[in-house]
Order: sequence, then structure tokens, then C-alpha cells
Amino acid sequence: MLGMLFALQEWVSLHSWNNHIYITFRLLMEAWCVHYFLWGVISWLLWWRLRRQIQQATFLSIMTRFLPLSVAVSVLEEMTWVAFFPQLPLGLPRMTYWHRVVFHLDAELVDNLVIFWSVFLLIRGIGYYQLYRETQYAAVQLETQFANAQLRALRMQLNPHFLFNTMNSISSLMQTDIPAADKMLEQLSSLLRITLERGEVQLVPLSDEMEFIEMYLAMQDRRFAGRVLQEISVESDLYDALVPAMLLQPVIENAYTHGLSKLDRDGLIVVDVRRQNAMLMISVINNGPGLHPDSLNNGVRRGVGLANVRDRLRLHYGSEQAFTIEEVARGKVQVTIALPLQFSERPTGKLTGYGV
Amino acid sequence: MIHTVLADDEVLARQKLRQLLRDEPGIEIVGEGTTASETIDLVLATKPQLLFLDIQMPGMDGFDIASELCSNKVVPAPHIIFTTAHDQYALRAFEIHAVDYLLKPFTRERLSSAVERARKEILLVDQRPAGNSSIGQNGGRYTARIVFKSRGRIVFLPVSDIRWISAEENYVRICTGAETHLLRETMTHLEEKLDPEMFLRVHRSSIVNLQHVKEVRTEGDGDYAVVLINGEKLTMSRGYRSRINEWLTHS
Repeated sequence: MLGMLFALQEWVSLHSWNNHIYITFRLLMEAWCVHYFLWGVISWLLWWRLRRQIQQATFLSIMTRFLPLSVAVSVLEEMTWVAFFPQLPLGLPRMTYWHRVVFHLDAELVDNLVIFWSVFLLIRGIGYYQLYRETQYAAVQLETQFANAQLRALRMQLNPHFLFNTMNSISSLMQTDIPAADKMLEQLSSLLRITLERGEVQLVPLSDEMEFIEMYLAMQDRRFAGRVLQEISVESDLYDALVPAMLLQPVIENAYTHGLSKLDRDGLIVVDVRRQNAMLMISVINNGPGLHPDSLNNGVRRGVGLANVRDRLRLHYGSEQAFTIEEVARGKVQVTIALPLQFSERPTGKLTGYGV
Repeated sequence: MIHTVLADDEVLARQKLRQLLRDEPGIEIVGEGTTASETIDLVLATKPQLLFLDIQMPGMDGFDIASELCSNKVVPAPHIIFTTAHDQYALRAFEIHAVDYLLKPFTRERLSSAVERARKEILLVDQRPAGNSSIGQNGGRYTARIVFKSRGRIVFLPVSDIRWISAEENYVRICTGAETHLLRETMTHLEEKLDPEMFLRVHRSSIVNLQHVKEVRTEGDGDYAVVLINGEKLTMSRGYRSRINEWLTHS
């Protein structure tokens, strides 16, 4: 294809050229066509066999492999071409084959090399272009993935399951205990207010996340009416550390639905945040019936909540994070999240004012 | 009797206030306004001491109403408790010396505490010669209240409600009787804001409200501890001991 195109282009230019110089048009046409056809074949071979090597070639391999190759190919092409046209060059005494080869090489070796390296650069350029397109595609892909996770996170913030269960509790309390229903409604409103205020923000200071968790735990406490003892401990220098918003709520909800809700007394949930070298370690321990053997192998069975937490951790931190769920003792389940310790560069002081 | 006006454009919001206030002793509702101009007229006519004010009302917003009432020289401005679904006006409300800021929906308890605060303030104004209601007990040099957001609520906290404050790196934990709040604030800055007659720094990382101190006790190894009335104990460092001794000899 490439060769034909070159030949066509040359034909057009030579056609006009032909008017001034006395030369057999047919011979000229043939000579050029064969010349570029040969180069077309060579280009095709390079593309077919050596594309990958050309695109990935380092400076060293260019010097040691492609430089000799370019010379060899140029000479071979010229030799083949000369074999086709014994009558050329015109207007000179007859020469042996080797003399003709040397004659033509003298004139055309540099041209051939230029053609070879043009093809080389073209193939390499195509490689770069493809790489560029691939990167772009991957970026778009990643963005979509991120947006999806965000969407899911958002849906989780207004977790319908939690929302409707709470509303049901309120509805139930309304009949029997109006102040309690009122209190619960207020708590739910506070949770929603914080959730809506955060909007699209992905990473929040740990202090915000823990505040949210305290509120969430207070609501759960009301639902479970003192059946569960809650303990929270956070190393105080970690309050400004950044964590994905709403990271812990699904974990704690999971602890309640699969563990604590199965107990009628002496439930215990412990949320512990500490620093371990350059990592932030968050662990949530709860007692209950323990893990189902099959749920260990298949995390999906523990619900979309935890899967979502895993997804978001992976999207934010790649391989620099860890999420484990294990039964540390009989009937005691521990979820551990490890993520790289990052601090917000400009910790935004929340609204605080002094006055009379 | 504290004469009270309710201002809210929503009938159910007014109904809730009316019902809850019925159980508050000493509160008498003298009128209800549904628009800004109606509310202003009502206040000028009835001269209430307390005004429950929604921020988003037809016509002007709650702050416009408040400034209109404050600029009126004939009728003394009422004490204002804002009731709103939006938390972003809290600081502004605090700055114009509102009594409290109730986020809808609020509970009976929350309303009661706001009314209680209003009672105290109204009593204070009554005792003082007429006029400036905005100057605090200590002449305004020290803070009398702190406003912050905690657990999705707006808190206008009178400093007298604070029992102790402890430092947690870049944060301080403020403990009132019922709960604790975490604020992004430094101890030094907070200490400057607090009246030294009332608060004493007993440790690099703790400040105590002297009204809640029961005694100072020597611990085994020569250290000291401040014991609060409710039995809580704060460790005290030696460097700060002279300060509390001074206070103990004075009182």
C-alpha cells in the first residue's frame, strides 16, 4: 500500500518532469514503480515482523540492530532493483552487475536510508499514537469507574436500607414514645445534614468521619436499647488524617446486622484508630455468632456494603491499602483497614466563634 | 410572664412551637407572624421579650427583621431564638447575639434548653439598668459563649457550662456535664479567650472550670490532681501548682 502510494506520487511528479527530458517514459515508470514497490514490500515486512521491536526499541538497540539493518536492507533493495533493470544506467558503456550495483548505490544509498528511517519513524509514531489513545482510553475508563464508585458511595450515604429502617423505627416509636421518636428524627436529620453538606467530597478529616460514626452509633444504640457496649479510641494526632468519607459506616452497619443483632445481651463493638509507621490502621471488632465459613472465601456474601468499601479503598489507594475481615477469637470478628497516612494540607477549621 | 412572638411562614412549624411552648412555664405567646412585615408590626405592637424567628420568610429574611427591630429606638429589641433548617447562618446569628439557634427538626429537650437560656438572659437584662443588653458579665474582654458545630448540631455554649477542656494535638475536647465536643482549636488560643477568674490551666493539656473544682489532692509520687465535684479527676503538673494555690488561698 505504502509503496503503491509512493509510486503513484512519483508517477505524478515524473509525468510533468518527463516533458523536458528525453527518456523512455515506460522505462522510467517501471524503474520507479519497481523501486517503490520494493520499498512497499519492505515497509510491509517491517510492519508485519518488526513492529513491536521498532516501537519498543531503545537507543542501544537502534544503534546495534536497526542501524546495520537499515544499511543491509538498503543495499539488498538496490541489488534487487538493479537485477530487474540491466539496461540502466542509460547512456553509459555496458557494465557488469556488480559495477552497476556500486554505481546505483553510490547515487541512491542515502535516499534508501532516508526511506528506511522514515518508515521506521512512521511505525514508531503510530506506536506512540496508539499508546496515547490507549492511555487516554484507560484514563476515561478509570474516570468512569471512579464516578461509578462515587455514585455508589453517594447512594450509600443515603443508604436506603438504613434510612428506611430508621424511618420505620421512628414510625413505631411515634405510637409509643413520642420524645424518643422526636430524638431519633433529630439524629437522622443531623446525619442527613452532614451527608448532604459533604456532597461530592471524597476525602474527609478523620475527626469528621468519627463524628459521623459517633452519631451513627448513638442511633444504633437507641435501636438496640443498651444491648451493645460501644468503645471508640482514636490516637489524638490522627484527627486531621484524611480518610474516604463514609468509609466506616458500612463496616459498622455490617457488624450490627451480621453480628451484634444476633445477640440479646453483652454485645460489644470496638472502633480503634491508630498509626502504624506510615499507615493508618482502623479496626472494628464486634462479637456475635462469628463468620460463616463460606462468607470468608466469598466476601460478596457479606453484602454490597463491604464490597463497596473495598472498591473505594482500591480506587483511592491502589495496592497501598489492605482490607481484611477475620475471626480473631471465637465469635469475635475483626475488620481491619490499613491505608496510607495522609494529612490535609489546609485543615479547614470548622465554624467556631467566640463572643458574648 | 415572658411575652413571646412566633414568626414562621409554615403553619405546622408554628403549631409545633406552640404545642411545645405550652408546657414551658412562664412563656406566653402574644402573637404569630407569617411574613416579615407582619412580624415587625406585631413586635412593635406587642413589645415581646422573646421572638422565635425563622430565617427564610417571605419578604425579608430573619436577619433583616432582626436588624430592623434592633434599630428601632422606641421598642426594646426582643431576645431572638432562630429556628431554621439551614445551618450556614449560625455564625451570623451568634454575632447578632441571638439566644440560640435551633436546627429543624428539634426535640423538646433542645427547645427547653433554648428557652431556659432565654429566661436567664431576660432576667439579667431586667436586673441591669435599661439599655445595653449586649455587654457580657465581664465587660466583653473574655468570651461568654462559644459557637461551634458538633454532631450535626449548632451549639451556642455558655462557657459556664464547660467543666474542663483537654488538648488533643490540634484539637481540644470540651466537656460539659452531658457530653464532650471536639473542636479544632489550640489550648493557648482558647485560654486567652477564657476569663482567668473562672478558668485555670492546670496542665499543659488541660483547663478546668474553677466552679466545678472540689479539691486539690496530692497523688502518691508527689504529683497533684484536681478533683471535680462530680468525682472526675484531672492531673495537674507542678509548674501550674502555684497558680491553683493562689486561687485556693483567695477563695
